[in-house]
Amino acid sequence: MADKKKRRRQNPDDDDDGTQPFKHLLKSDEDILKTLKSFPSSSAAASSSSSSSKPLTLADLSLSTTCREVADLSLSSVQSAIETLVLQLTHQILSGQGFSFSVPSRASSNQLYVPELDRIVLKDKSTLRPFAHISSVRKSTITAKILSLVHQLCLKSIHVTKRDLFYTDVKLFQDQTQSDAVLDDVSCMLGCTRSSLNVIAAEKGVVVGRLIFSDNGDMIDCTKMGMGGKAIPPNIDRVGDMQSDALFVLLVEKDAAYIRLAEDRFYNRFPCIIVTAKGQPDVATRLFLRKMKMELKLPVLALVDSDPYGLKILSVYGCGSKNMSYDSANLTTPDIKWLGIRPSDLDKYKIPEQCRLPMTEQDIKTGKDLLEEDFVKKNPGWVEELNLMVKTKQKAEIQALSSFGFQYLSEVYLPLKLQQQDWL
Amino acid sequence: MDSESPAETKKGKSKAPKKAKESILKQKSPAEFFAENKNIAGFDNPGKCLYTTVRELVENALDSAESISELPVVEITIEEIGRSKFNSMMGLVDRERVDAELYDDYETAKARERRLAKEAKVQETQAKNAALGKKVKEPASAKGIKGRGEASFYRVTCKDNGRGMAHDDIPNMFGRVLSGTKYGLKQTRGKFGLGAKMALIWSKMSTGLPIEILSSMRGQNYKSFCRLDIDIHRNIPHIHLHEKRDNQDPWHGAEIQVVIEGNWTTYRSKILHYMRQMAVITPYAQFLFKFISDASDKSVTIRFARRTDVLPPVPVETKHHPSSVDLLLIKRLIAETSKQNLLQFLQHEFVNIRKSLAERLIGEMGPEFSPKMAVKSLTDQQIVRIHQLFRQAKFDDPSGDCLSPAGEYNLRLGIIKELHPDMVATYSGSAQVFEGHPFIVEAGVSVGGKDVKQGLNIFRFANRIPLLFEQGGDVVTRTALKRINWGSYKINQTQDKIGVFVSIVSTKIPFKGTGKEYIGDDITEIATAVKSAIQQCCIQLKSKIVKKMQAREQQERKRNLSKYIPDATNAVYDVLKEMAKSHSSKRKRFEDEDTDILRKVSAQLITKETLKEKLAQHVEKVDYEMALEYATQSGVSEEPREDIYLQLLDANANFLDFHSPIFVFRLFQ
Repeated sequence: MADKKKRRRQNPDDDDDGTQPFKHLLKSDEDILKTLKSFPSSSAAASSSSSSSKPLTLADLSLSTTCREVADLSLSSVQSAIETLVLQLTHQILSGQGFSFSVPSRASSNQLYVPELDRIVLKDKSTLRPFAHISSVRKSTITAKILSLVHQLCLKSIHVTKRDLFYTDVKLFQDQTQSDAVLDDVSCMLGCTRSSLNVIAAEKGVVVGRLIFSDNGDMIDCTKMGMGGKAIPPNIDRVGDMQSDALFVLLVEKDAAYIRLAEDRFYNRFPCIIVTAKGQPDVATRLFLRKMKMELKLPVLALVDSDPYGLKILSVYGCGSKNMSYDSANLTTPDIKWLGIRPSDLDKYKIPEQCRLPMTEQDIKTGKDLLEEDFVKKNPGWVEELNLMVKTKQKAEIQALSSFGFQYLSEVYLPLKLQQQDWL
Repeated sequence: MDSESPAETKKGKSKAPKKAKESILKQKSPAEFFAENKNIAGFDNPGKCLYTTVRELVENALDSAESISELPVVEITIEEIGRSKFNSMMGLVDRERVDAELYDDYETAKARERRLAKEAKVQETQAKNAALGKKVKEPASAKGIKGRGEASFYRVTCKDNGRGMAHDDIPNMFGRVLSGTKYGLKQTRGKFGLGAKMALIWSKMSTGLPIEILSSMRGQNYKSFCRLDIDIHRNIPHIHLHEKRDNQDPWHGAEIQVVIEGNWTTYRSKILHYMRQMAVITPYAQFLFKFISDASDKSVTIRFARRTDVLPPVPVETKHHPSSVDLLLIKRLIAETSKQNLLQFLQHEFVNIRKSLAERLIGEMGPEFSPKMAVKSLTDQQIVRIHQLFRQAKFDDPSGDCLSPAGEYNLRLGIIKELHPDMVATYSGSAQVFEGHPFIVEAGVSVGGKDVKQGLNIFRFANRIPLLFEQGGDVVTRTALKRINWGSYKINQTQDKIGVFVSIVSTKIPFKGTGKEYIGDDITEIATAVKSAIQQCCIQLKSKIVKKMQAREQQERKRNLSKYIPDATNAVYDVLKEMAKSHSSKRKRFEDEDTDILRKVSAQLITKETLKEKLAQHVEKVDYEMALEYATQSGVSEEPREDIYLQLLDANANFLDFHSPIFVFRLFQ
C-alpha cells in the first residue's frame, strides 16, 4: 500500500506542473495532517462553548408562531394514535357527516427558517381533507388506506419499504409519488417521524472510510467494504456503536467523485469518512450523517458541484428540505462546511473554459432565489460565492477537475484545500 | 423565334461541354423551359401531375366564378382510361407481345424459381403460425409486377359557372406559357400563372392528346369550342378546331378537358384531402368530385355541398409598396407608367406616398433630382439611388384592404361543415406587413369531430388554397407543435382530436422551396401572427372547455365520490376489526363511547356495509347541495345561435303542404 502510494506520488513529480497545476504548493502529507488535527478540536471547542452542552430545541425558543415538530414514537403509541383517529372517523361516518382529516400543510407558505436552530421548521397551519369533495376524495381515501396499512405494520411489528406499501393497492395509489406524499402527511398528522411508521425507503446512500459501526448487531468496518463501500441502512435504529479515528467527514454530492475517492483510498492518506447520497439525499443518509456528526463530533466538509443545485443539496443536509421540515430536528446536520467546488475555485484553480458550462435561465433564477433564502444569507461567505456564480453565469461539475487528470481531485485539489483549510 | 413574353427565360445558353466544338447559342422558349423543369410547377411524377392538374383546374374555376361574383359550382371528373381504350383513342391497335423476353417485366426462369421458393416459404410459415394459433397476417396481395410501360391514363374534366373566355382569346390563354391575366400585384390563387397550360404541356408530353375547351360568357348566344395543343418550341398554340356552337341552356363558364398520364392509386388520398380542404376554405362553393373507373368498386363520387352564400370580396389590384420593390421592378414601372415627371410617378405608382412625402423624398435623393424631371430620363445610377432610398426611408404600412381573406364566418362554416367538431373557435387577425406586402392571418381551432385523428390535424391555406405537401417545415405546423402550450388551454395534445386551421392571405406569400408548398418558419412577423391567432382561438375554446368540464364534473361528481366509498370504508373497517379483536381479548381499554362501537363491531352490528351506507348517504346529500349551488350560480345559459344556410330548391318542384296553425311543413317529392 505504502509502496503503491509512493509510486503514485512520484510519477507525477517527473512531469510536474504541466498536467497538474498547483501541485508544487502542496506540503507533505504529514504537515497537512498536523494542521487538520488542530482543526477538529478547535471547532469542537467552539461549538461546545457556543451551545452549552445540549443542542437547542424548538421548545427552548419562545417563537411568536407555534411550530409543529414530530418525535420518534414507539410502535404501540403509533398504533394507539391511529386507533384514536380511526375511532373519530367512525363516529363521524356513523353520525352521517362523512369524514375528513385535518392534515398539517407542508406548503412552502407554512415553512419557517429559524436562524437560532439553523433549520427549517413547519408552522401549525392545517388543511381539511374531507371525503365528500371532488378535489380531496382521492387523497382522503389514500390517507385512510395508508393509516390502515401502517396499523397492520404496528400489529405485526415489521418494516416494509415505500415500494411495498405502494404495491398493496396499485389501482388506488396509481403511482408511488402519491402514496409517498400521503405517507409524509400521515407521519405529520400522527406527530411521529417517518421511521416510526416502520416504513423505510430503499437504500441509496453509501459510506466508506474510517468508520466502524454495528448494523443490526453486526460490526461493519467501512475500510474493509471493498471499493463501493457500505450501503447506509435504511432504518437508523439498527445503527449503533459508532467508532472512528477519522479527522473529518467528507460529504460528496456525486457518485462519480465518490468512486474516484474510494478507489484511490483517499481515506487512508487523510483519515476520513466519505459519504454520498448520489444526488438529492434521502432520509436514511441524512439521519446517518447527523448521527455521525453527533456521536463522533467530526467536522463535515462538503464537496458539491459549483451550481445552484449543489448548494441546494448542501442546504438539505444542513437545514432540511421543505417536504420533510416537520422532522427537521432529526434530519439536519448543523455546521456543514462548503469545501468545494466553489465558484471562486473556477479561476483559482484555472479550470479551463471548455469544462465550464454556461448557466441556463433556470439556473440563474434558482441561484437568485437561493440568495433570498435565509440559510444562505446567514453565511456571508456563501453569499459572496453565490453572487460570483450568478455574476459570471458559469457553473462547473466536480468532474471539471478531471481535465487535469482523473486523479487530480484526490491527489492535488482536496489535499490543497485541506492544507489551506479553505472551506466556508 | 419571337420573344414577346416579359419573363422570357434566358436559360440553356450553351450545351454541355461534351459538344465543345459546336457551342451554338440556343434559346429556349418558356414552354420548353417548363417542360424540362416541370417539377417546379408541381409536376414531379405521374401521381403528382394528376394532383396538380386537378388543383390548377379547380383553382382557375373558383377564380373565374368569383371574378363575376357568382357562387361557384365546380364539377371535376377524373376518368380512368385503360390501355386498350387509350390505344383506340389514339388509333393504335392492341398488339400482343410476341417476343416476351424483350420486355422489362419478363420473368426469367431463374427469377421464377426464386419467386416460387419464396412464396412456398411464406406459405409454410403462415401454416405454422396458424397451427400455433397466432394471428395470421393477411397474405400480401400479390402485386402485379408492373413494367415501366404500364402507364395509367386519365381524362380530367373540370366544369365551372364562371366568367368564361372570349372566343378569340381562348387559344392564347391556353397555348402560350407565361401570358396571363394574373401578373398584377394582387392576392391570387395561382402560383406561377401557369394553370391549365402546364397541364396541357404535361398532356402533350405524356399522351400527345390535345386539350378541349368549351366556354361561354354571360349573354353570349353561342358556346366556343376549341381543341388545341401547344407548340412547345415556339410557345404558341396549335389549333385543331376552333368554332362557335349553339348555346341552348343559359350556361356560362368553362369546361376544360385534358387527357394525361397519372397515378390515381398513390395520389388518391392527396386529391381527396385537397378537395376536402378546399371545401373547408370555400364553403360558398359547391363541388362535385367524381372518379370513374371501369372497376365500379373503385369509383368515387363526393359532393361537397354549399353552406353559405356569403362570398368574400374580390381581391383588388393594388400598387406596389415602396419598401417591397426591387431595381428591376422600378425599371419596369418606369417603362410602363403614363406619368410624365418624377413627382407624379412616385405619387401614383406606389401606395403610401402622398405628394408631400414624394417631395421630401425627391429632396433627399440629391441635387440632381427634381420633381419636374422626366421620369423616363432617369439614368441607371439615379434609379439605384431611388431604390436605396426606398429601402431606408420609413413608409406607412400598406393596408390590408386589397386582401380578401376567407373571413371568420366562412372559415368557421367550412370547419363545421367538413369536420363536424364538438367545439370550434375562429379568429381573424388584423393586417400586418412583411417586406412591404400586407398579410392577414386567420385561424380556427376545433376539438372533436368525425374522421379526425387524435392529436393535431393541421390544415394550411395560403391565399385560400390548401397546402398539402412539406408540412414539416411549415410555419403553421411548427408553431402548433412547438410554440403552443395546449395543456394550458385544457386541451390534450395527444388525446384530443384537434383541428388547427390557418389561412394566410397576402399579395405575396413568402413560399419556401421550389414547389411553393410551404411557408418558412424563419419569418418572425408571420410566425408571431400565426401564434397569436391560434392562441386567440384557444382562449375562446378554453372557456367553453372549462364550462363543459364543470358541467361534466357536476354530472359525474356523485359517481366519482361513490367510487371511493368501498376503499375508504374498507380501510377504516380493517382497523376497527383489529381493534375489536384486541378489545374483546381485553388487551386494551377504550373510552365508553368507543367501547360501544367496538362491541357493536364484534357483534356484527356495525359492518362494512353500515359504514358504506352511511357514507353513501352523506355523498348523496353533499351532491344534492352542490348541484343546487351550481344551478343557482350558473343560471340558465343559452348557447349562442348560429345561422343555418338552407339550399335553394327548384321552384317548380312537386310538394305537399301540411298546414298547422303556426307553420307549414312542405314535403318535396
